[in-house]
Amino acid sequence: MTELLQNLINGLAIGSVYAIFALGYTLVFSILGIINFAHGAVFTLGAYFTYTLVVGQFENNGLIKGVNLFPAGSPFHGSAWAFAAAAVIGALLSGVVAVIIERLAFRPMRARGADPLLALVSSLGVALVIVNLIQILVGAESYSFPTDIYGDLKPALILHVGGKLVVVRTVQVIIFAVSMVLLLILGYVIGRTRTGKALRAVAENPGTASLLGISVERFIVITFFLSGFLGGLAGTLVSTAFSVAGPYFGVAYGLKGLAVIVLGGLGSIPGAVVGGLVIGLAEAFVPAQYSAYKDAVAFALLFVILLLRPQGLLGRLQIQKV
Amino acid sequence: MDFLQTYGFLIVTMLQQGLLGLSLYFPLMAGQLSLASPGFYSLGGYIAAILLTAPQFAPWRDALGGWIFPVSWLLSALASALLGVLVGIPALRLRGIYLALATIAFVQILQVLSLNLSITGGAVGLFGIPQAFGFVDRWQYVFVFLPTVLIVLLFAHRLQGSRVGRAFRAIREDELAADAMGIPPTRYKVLAFVIGAVVAGVVGAMSAPFLNTWNARQGTFDASIAFLAYTLIGGSRSMWGPLLGGALLASLPELLRGLADWRLVINGLVLVVASLYLPQGIVGALGRLRRPAPPQRPAPPAPPAVRGPALGDTP
Repeated sequence: MTELLQNLINGLAIGSVYAIFALGYTLVFSILGIINFAHGAVFTLGAYFTYTLVVGQFENNGLIKGVNLFPAGSPFHGSAWAFAAAAVIGALLSGVVAVIIERLAFRPMRARGADPLLALVSSLGVALVIVNLIQILVGAESYSFPTDIYGDLKPALILHVGGKLVVVRTVQVIIFAVSMVLLLILGYVIGRTRTGKALRAVAENPGTASLLGISVERFIVITFFLSGFLGGLAGTLVSTAFSVAGPYFGVAYGLKGLAVIVLGGLGSIPGAVVGGLVIGLAEAFVPAQYSAYKDAVAFALLFVILLLRPQGLLGRLQIQKV
Repeated sequence: MDFLQTYGFLIVTMLQQGLLGLSLYFPLMAGQLSLASPGFYSLGGYIAAILLTAPQFAPWRDALGGWIFPVSWLLSALASALLGVLVGIPALRLRGIYLALATIAFVQILQVLSLNLSITGGAVGLFGIPQAFGFVDRWQYVFVFLPTVLIVLLFAHRLQGSRVGRAFRAIREDELAADAMGIPPTRYKVLAFVIGAVVAGVVGAMSAPFLNTWNARQGTFDASIAFLAYTLIGGSRSMWGPLLGGALLASLPELLRGLADWRLVINGLVLVVASLYLPQGIVGALGRLRRPAPPQRPAPPAPPAVRGPALGDTP
C-alpha cells in the first residue's frame, strides 16, 4: 500500500514533465506533420540556460563561464524567486532557439515542399550541432542545481501509512504543480482563445486557413516558440529533480518523448498529457530488481500500442485516401 | 603497403558503413522506411562475438577452425531473418513515420536487453574477439567487406529487374494500386524488410572480429539516424546512393580529424546543409547534371498543405 502510494507520487511527478516535454513535439507535428528531433537538444539547452543564470559558473574546461543573473550581493541572490525568474528566462531563450531552428532547418525545406523525412535528418543535424557546441563551450561535466534554495533537502510532506514512510519531495510538488498549471493555461489558450482557434485551423488544414486570412507562417513561428519554451522548461524541471547529466542529457528524453506522443496519439494535445502520465507511472511501477529495464518500458509500450492501436490512445484514425 | 597501413581501417569502415546504408535500401525499394538496421547489426555482431569467445563454444571453434567465421555469418543471417519476420509482420502494418518510430522502439528494446543480459557481457560488452581467418592487419578485412559489397550490389541489381523487384517498386509507388493488381503488399514488404535485416545482421557478424569488441553502443538510436542519413544524403532511389552516402559520411569524421572538437559540429552542419540542398541525395544531383535539363515548365503552384505526401500521417 505504501509502496503503491510512493510509486504513484513518483510516477505523477516525472510523468507530468514527460507530458509538457512531449507537448512540444506534438504541437510541431500537428502543424507541420514533421518530427523535430532537435527537441531533445532544446530540452538540454533549457537546463543549461537556467543553470548559467542561477549559478553562472561552469568548470574550467569550456570556452565560456556563464552569466549569473543574481550575483552574490544582489537582492534576490540565492532565493527561490531568483530561481523561478531564471527558469522562465531559460525557457524563453529555449523558445527563441526553437524559432531559429525553424528558420534555418525547416523553413527552407518547406518552401520547396521537400520530403518530411529530410526534416528528420536536418533537425538531427541541428541537435548534433547544439549538443556538441555545448560540449565545446562549457565542457562535458554534469552539474547539480543548488536545489536547497527552495528547501529540497526538507521533504514537503512525510506521510505515515501503516508504519512506513511515504516521502513527497518538494521538487516533485513543484514539478507537478508547474506542469499542471502550464497544461491548464495551454488548454485554455488552444481551446478558448482566438489564437488557439487559428492554431487549430492551421493544424487542420494550412491551405484553407491561409485562405481565411490566417498567417500560416506566423503561427508556425508561434508553435515553435511554444514548443521550445515547454521543452526548455521541462529540461530545467527534470534537472532540478536529478541533475544536468552533461550535454547528451536530452537525447534519452528526446526518444522517450517520441514514445509519449505516439502512445497518446501523434498530434493530439490531450494525448501527449495522457501518454506522459502513463509512461511516467509505468516506469515508477517497475519493481526495483528490474530497474535496469526501466528505459525499455516506454519503448515496449510504444511498440505494443502501435501494433494494437496505431493511432494511439487518443488519436483519430485518418482514412487513407485513394 | 604504407598506404594500406594508414588508410586501410578507414577504407574498410567506409565499405562497412556503405553496406549498412544498403541495408536500409532494400525496405526502401518497397517504400518502407525502417530504422531497425542497427538492431539486426547489433544482433549479428553479438551472435558472432558469442560464438567466437564464449567458453561453451570452444569445441565448435576447434572443430571448425577458420570455417567458424562463415558459420557465424550464416547463423547471424538466419537469426536476423527469423527476427525480421517476427518483427516485420506486425510492424509493417504501419507506414511512414509510424513505422520509423516502431523500428526505433525495436532498436531501443534490443539495446536495453543487451545492456542487461549476462550473455552479452552487460554494459561492458564482449572483448578479445579473435581476428577473422587470423588476419594480422585491419586492412585485410577488405577481403571480407569488398566481396560482400559486390555481392549485395549484384543482388540488388538483379533484384531490381526481377518480378519481385518490380513488385517492390509497384508497392513503393502506390500500395493500394499494387494490391488491386494482385500484388500482396504485406508479403513483399516483409520480404524487403527481411533482406535488409539479413544484410545488417551479416555486416554485424563481420564487424565483430573487425572491431575486436562488441557492446551495446553498436546498435543505438544514433546509428539508426546515421544509417538514415547515409541513405538520404547519398540518394534513396538508387542502390549507389546509400553505399556512397555511407562511405562519405563514415570518412567525414576522419577527414575532419584536424578540427578536433569541432568535427561533430561540422558533421551536424553537413547533415543540415545536405538535407536542405540535396533533396534527391548526391546520386540524384549527379543524375540531374548528367541528363539534359527537362524542358522548362512554369513552376507548379506551391502545394497548399505543408504536410508531406511521401510520409503521410496515416498509420
